[in-house]
Amino acid sequence: MKKQSLKLFLVLVLMLSTVLTACSGSESASSETPKEAEGKVVVDFWTFWGSETRRPIIEKIIDDFNKSQEEIYVKHTYLPWGDIWTKELAAVAAGNPPDVVINDINTVKHRATKEQAENLSEYITDENFKDKFFPELWNTVLYEGDPYAVPFNTDTRVLFYNKDMFKEAGLDPNQPPETWEEVEQYAEKLTVKNGDRYERIGFYPLWNVGADLWMLNADGEAYLNKDNEVVIDGKANVEALKWINSFTEKYGRDTVNRFKAEFGNQQAHPFLAGKIAMFTDVATFYTQIRDYGGDMNVGVAKLPAREEGSGHTSWGGGFVAEVPKGSDTPEEAVEFIKYLTGKEAQKYWAVKNFDNVANIAGAEAAAKELEGLDKKVYELAVENMDNTVLTPIPLAAPEYLNTVNPIVEEVLLGTKSPEEALAEAQKKVEELVKQN
Amino acid sequence: MEKVERTAISKTKTKKAHKHMTIQRKEELQGFVFLTPWIIGFLFITAGPLLFSLYASFTNYDVTSQMEFIGFENYIKMFTQDSLFWTSLYNTLYYVAFSVPLTTAGAVLLAVLLNQGVPGMRFYRTIFYLPAVLSGVGVYLLWMQLLAPSTGLINTLLAFVGIQGPAWLFDPQWTKPALIFMKLWSLGGGMLLYLASLQGVPKTLYEAAEIDGANAFHRFRHITLPMITPVIFFDLVTSLIGGFQVFQEAYVMTESGNGGPANSLVFFNLHMWNNAFESFDMGYAMGMSWVLFVIILILTLINIKLAPRWVHYEGEDK
Amino acid sequence: MSTFADKRSSYFQSVKVRKRIMQIVVTTILILGSLLILSPVWWMLATSLKSMREIMQFPPTFIPEDFHFQNYVETWKSAPFTRYTLNTLFITACCVIGSVFSNSFVAYGFAKVKFRFKNVLFALVLATMMIPGFVTMIPQYIVFSKLGWLNTYLPLIVPSLFGSAFFIFLLRQFFLTIPNELIEAAKIDGANHFYIWWKIAVPLAKPAIATVAIFSFNGAWNDFLGPLLYVNDESLYSLQIGLQVFKGEISTQWNYLMAGSLMVLLPVIVLFFIFQRYFIEGMNITSGSKG
Repeated sequence: MKKQSLKLFLVLVLMLSTVLTACSGSESASSETPKEAEGKVVVDFWTFWGSETRRPIIEKIIDDFNKSQEEIYVKHTYLPWGDIWTKELAAVAAGNPPDVVINDINTVKHRATKEQAENLSEYITDENFKDKFFPELWNTVLYEGDPYAVPFNTDTRVLFYNKDMFKEAGLDPNQPPETWEEVEQYAEKLTVKNGDRYERIGFYPLWNVGADLWMLNADGEAYLNKDNEVVIDGKANVEALKWINSFTEKYGRDTVNRFKAEFGNQQAHPFLAGKIAMFTDVATFYTQIRDYGGDMNVGVAKLPAREEGSGHTSWGGGFVAEVPKGSDTPEEAVEFIKYLTGKEAQKYWAVKNFDNVANIAGAEAAAKELEGLDKKVYELAVENMDNTVLTPIPLAAPEYLNTVNPIVEEVLLGTKSPEEALAEAQKKVEELVKQN
Repeated sequence: MEKVERTAISKTKTKKAHKHMTIQRKEELQGFVFLTPWIIGFLFITAGPLLFSLYASFTNYDVTSQMEFIGFENYIKMFTQDSLFWTSLYNTLYYVAFSVPLTTAGAVLLAVLLNQGVPGMRFYRTIFYLPAVLSGVGVYLLWMQLLAPSTGLINTLLAFVGIQGPAWLFDPQWTKPALIFMKLWSLGGGMLLYLASLQGVPKTLYEAAEIDGANAFHRFRHITLPMITPVIFFDLVTSLIGGFQVFQEAYVMTESGNGGPANSLVFFNLHMWNNAFESFDMGYAMGMSWVLFVIILILTLINIKLAPRWVHYEGEDK
Repeated sequence: MSTFADKRSSYFQSVKVRKRIMQIVVTTILILGSLLILSPVWWMLATSLKSMREIMQFPPTFIPEDFHFQNYVETWKSAPFTRYTLNTLFITACCVIGSVFSNSFVAYGFAKVKFRFKNVLFALVLATMMIPGFVTMIPQYIVFSKLGWLNTYLPLIVPSLFGSAFFIFLLRQFFLTIPNELIEAAKIDGANHFYIWWKIAVPLAKPAIATVAIFSFNGAWNDFLGPLLYVNDESLYSLQIGLQVFKGEISTQWNYLMAGSLMVLLPVIVLFFIFQRYFIEGMNITSGSKG
């Protein structure tokens, strides 16, 4: 009897789901080739923008493009963040990749050497095309002088600070710190201690960013210079680590660990929870403060300089649109990419997402269209692009960070001196470069 | 059922006389029919990729642009130049050495506990099985909160009994214990296996033992334990294999998958993943996977060799 | 047991008292253990009912300030989850049925049929578990692509028809505990191994078969990488892919993610609750033959 009921149950489930899937299967077959696509070249476009906020925006852009087109139809597919590239790799290997995919900007060169992306120079014939984009971004997509992708959006680290806390501490809320020294002084005033426990930390340099940001900020280069020479043991890098460690020493390692642990799960945010007065993050983080921060009074500024005149260098990243190797419609794909990275689409994306876009005219138009604090923050982000440096991974040692990071970490853990550690990392990476 | 049993008793003695060549051959033929599904699957789906990865481990395969034969270069690099390889091997061995025995023992105890005649047992079983169903990134992020040094649930509980908890994921000495601890939370899967196997332990044995005055520990030691050894053996072998392949925890619970403070969570598979999908050094990663294969194989063979000493199959010919 | 209790000897009285104490101890341990196990689950539930604003606050609240039950409605609307549920149900049902049949079939062969090279072949079965999945992932993808199976459920379902090493090994262990006398007797009665497999071995190993069913349900239901790799059309996506829409490159919508995870979890829990019967009523193989 009981065995019967088990079988019956399983058979029922199977029948039910077969029927339902059969129905859905026929529907999906129809959704695969929509009427507008008939007689047109279909361009497969993979993105990781599937959320309620992002999907409608990218689909509006695609829709506009499709309507303007007689020959091309773009079909958008959402794939989860991170895994999208695992699947892309498999698809390229199997020879049936999508035609356009959104990918990380700092690794474009690497993919170009590995023949994962198409050389686009054949399809981008307009000499002035490159001038549409922030030069730092455009340089990052070049490999041996040819573009292998087109920049889509970018990000840049800025300093966020809580204006109310500034007032409370007797600081001018419109005068954010300009130098490392000032940051220290401000942080001292902004810190609130209750007995042994810190109620609030003025500033902690490693919240959400790596130590290399401050090495970059110190003199414009972190581990490698523009010519890909290893400059890990540079003086400014040592100084940056010392500066970072001075905060750890001030607050105590336990406090720092507690902070990292309590906020490390990416849920509670120390700035939004009022536990930290100043911190650095991408400019786009502003939307989180705006949407979830309640009536917090936030100020945004360029990163401080190591000392007056040493520059407010910041670090950036971003995403590109690229054509995976083996696409059967590269020409049409690039046609769409041109639209996607054109002024109109970029402005729309920027305004709706409050995202930094790669197209200069698009970014400027967006800044004009925004209002109030949104506008101010956005303008600052666009301006900050001049200070923003990208660190594309070096082809000679693509995995060099796996070597450097643990050594730098020992400095932060207090088990090695900055000089000693950086000299060691310098030597190891030099060896690595020699090997390859 | 009962009819079959009765005939079993009456006819077993004569079974040997009936064995002829034809029967043996028929048996053999049937055996291969039983194996056909697996053989088809192996030949058409599994074998190809396996052999490919073995060959590719002797090349500079990067998935998309090259695949040139380079002999033992990957293996030489692994053993002589890649210090992270050894770190990752050490970390993985550490993890396996503690997590496998602890989870096995824990699951057995839990299953015994959940096999008692206590009201509401179906609810308890469901609750204890829950963590096995809860998987993925969300759970690991949740554990990061539970393991937070000063406000996390774990250290709060420890403080309650007067122990000052460690910094867990932030102290290189405690990262691996933290992961092992987390593994113990999801004993549900193993528990289920033992629960299934406990159903095969005859109640009459317990009753007889009880009359003989055996206490609970003795009953467990001399009746329960021997009867479930086949499943303990299974659990040991498979969790050894699974333990060596620990990956996602370390990938999610360390900043951008870098392997935790002082490389203390660089596990073998994490290192392999970074080689395969970050640097696209797939040939090297495949080489690593075959080294891992050999290690696991040797340990499994030792396991199998030792098995007859303690694994007790009720159905075995004696 | 009651027959013993009925005898009014003091010895059995004390057994009864001991049993009672034992029960109380076990129940106490189980309740405490359950609380420990459930506290993370409570946290998920609480998060799923919070607003994003509350989630970002510190210290985290254990009970939401406001209960946002509409989070569940919003979650369900964020992606075509009804479709995804049906898709996942279909894949899972096929996989469960496939694995129960194929694995018990192959496992029986390894446990109770005598043939040459059995040990070598079994070692090969075990060996397939020892190579990490992600180095064979890409070659595997190419194989399925060459077969023309991309964008169908075939790569997800067909392998389950051939059995998997883990389940074969598991069921083999259970079949090995079936007394050989039982099998021999049936053979003498004229039964072949196929009949014995279906009519004797499978019913006797019911708890183990139920375990395989639960494990394979769990595996297929939670499988993320499989559907992600092999399905291209969004209308064919599974629940686990659907849940990923809440994870962005900058921020994650924790409340929706937790609400979604809990909703996806529910069928597995319900199923487990139902399937448990087969553990309680599992037959006593050995008691029959010995007693």
